Amino acid sequence: MHNLSVLMLSWEYPPRVIGGISPHIYFLSKHLAKQDIKAYVVTCDFPGAPAHEVIDGVEVYRVDSYKNPSPDFATWVYLMNMNMQRETAALMKKIDYKIDVIHAHDWLVANAGIGLKHIFRKPLLVTMHSTEMGRRDGLHTTAERMIHETEAWLTYEAWKVICCSNYMINHVKYVFGLPNDKLVMAPNGVNTHGYIGTDYQTFRGKFALPEEKIVLFVGRLVYEKGIHILINAVPKILSKVNAKFIIVGSGYMKEQLLNIVRSMGLEHKVLFEGFLDDTNLMKLQKCADVSVVPSLFEPFGIVALEAMAAGSPVVTSDTGGLTEIVEHDITGVKVYPNNPDSLAWGITKVLLDESYAQFLRDNAYRRVQEKYNWEKIAQDTKHIYEDVLGEYTKSFWA
Amino acid sequence: MRTIIFSWEYPPRVVGQLSGYVKALTTQLATNKIDVNIVTYDDDITGLTQEPSGVKTMRVSNPVKTHIGVLTWALTLNQEVERAATNIYYDAGKKISLIDVYDWHFIPAAVTLKNGLDIPFVYSVESLEDHRSPAAQSSYNMAIKSIEWQGFYEANMINVKSQWMKEEIIRMYKVPPEKITVVSASPDTWINDILKLYDIVAETK
Repeated sequence: MHNLSVLMLSWEYPPRVIGGISPHIYFLSKHLAKQDIKAYVVTCDFPGAPAHEVIDGVEVYRVDSYKNPSPDFATWVYLMNMNMQRETAALMKKIDYKIDVIHAHDWLVANAGIGLKHIFRKPLLVTMHSTEMGRRDGLHTTAERMIHETEAWLTYEAWKVICCSNYMINHVKYVFGLPNDKLVMAPNGVNTHGYIGTDYQTFRGKFALPEEKIVLFVGRLVYEKGIHILINAVPKILSKVNAKFIIVGSGYMKEQLLNIVRSMGLEHKVLFEGFLDDTNLMKLQKCADVSVVPSLFEPFGIVALEAMAAGSPVVTSDTGGLTEIVEHDITGVKVYPNNPDSLAWGITKVLLDESYAQFLRDNAYRRVQEKYNWEKIAQDTKHIYEDVLGEYTKSFWA
Repeated sequence: MRTIIFSWEYPPRVVGQLSGYVKALTTQLATNKIDVNIVTYDDDITGLTQEPSGVKTMRVSNPVKTHIGVLTWALTLNQEVERAATNIYYDAGKKISLIDVYDWHFIPAAVTLKNGLDIPFVYSVESLEDHRSPAAQSSYNMAIKSIEWQGFYEANMINVKSQWMKEEIIRMYKVPPEKITVVSASPDTWINDILKLYDIVAETK
């Protein structure tokens, strides 16, 4: 009998990094391969990245995903799925159909996952990293409703729906009306090895003066991430502590946020760094005196986990997956969502009390190592695959 | 011979002339002892029906009801077409001679089934995007043209109704002439010409 094999579909995989799915697929597939699972990842292409390569035991295939003109992003997604499905079908034939489960990630690969499931009669699983209803705080446009219905269709077709937090389990159950036994929780993980190292003083000096504390935000500059709440809290924090606010990431709110900062006269205190590569981002997280995650909607909250692994105290809004990751006053500080006063209180509390900050750092790092390591998450995921295969073998498709 | 026909219209759903043509074709194919399966779209009557002629029709609806345009509608419907087609494929012991796909709407399904399951296909052209929307160069029109191109590139053979259409396809898509068969509407010969074409395509498997 051959080893269990999984075909993962994702619209992003390194070096293509758009959000949290890319590192998720990278670490999950790598640790599944370590568990003797034959892992294939089919993803979108990226300039300079080969169409096929083996990374850490994982077979990675990149699909020509921009070959069709498309009038808008959503249509591009469906056209990309058409290409992904065609190339994956050819791959399946090439490897003599030796795939046991298909694992799709988010609606961005829904069509390809569903089509391949039926063509090859293999069980389909999906990880719902987020939902359109959550991202948009409701459904307001035709495009949003279309994406929502595509998500619903994907969860309907999936044998199991994996979510990264209990919050997302409840959210997905409510949004798509799914039965309990279809839902299973497997958290996101974080790679603690990347954060080893101590001397970052020279690097720190590029961002802040020695007497300035570093307040770090990492994330897309979009409404759901609550970056505007942090910007509104800046004057309140500066009235109590000398700090530099480093904003890493990009998004449609950037210009608007820059204007607000300019109108406050705080350009010298709030730095927009754009996108940073992994190495520099990790260094910055090590240097941060506090990492802030002020999200309004957060299915999981990987940024908080990364900060905890880096040894940076975290202040997060008490919402979504963040509620589960952070234990208030033990592994971080939780504040009221959408509340600049509460956020300023939490950040100031950490910055003004170094022994409290150290207490949070130590507890958080321990929690990350115990609960959010990829080895354990890959084991849990392997068990999910085995359970599904056990049920599948009793079906007429087997 | 067992064939599956993909058409986005089939009676009682009538959008243009294609519906009536496919109805006449399938009846004639059944008369000639071909096992004929149609996969088509209908939002109101779905599922399998068998006509007195022996023609089996599987009607599928779109699982996503809200769309921003015809493109997303068609691309989403393709997975249901694949589901219906592969159900026929597996029920028939994986013995499908060919797929005959009409116009661009279900080209993605035909191409994937060819690449994954080795089912050859004929691309039967009723009309082209360039004729429906003359000189339109928007990304929407170009996307449909790119799907047509994919169909011409991947098809085992192309079936057209006139020499003019053949020349248009060669002009626009640079398709090798020998890949295109003209089956004119002559009542005496057309079904035999179709059967000959099917034989050629089935043998390419």
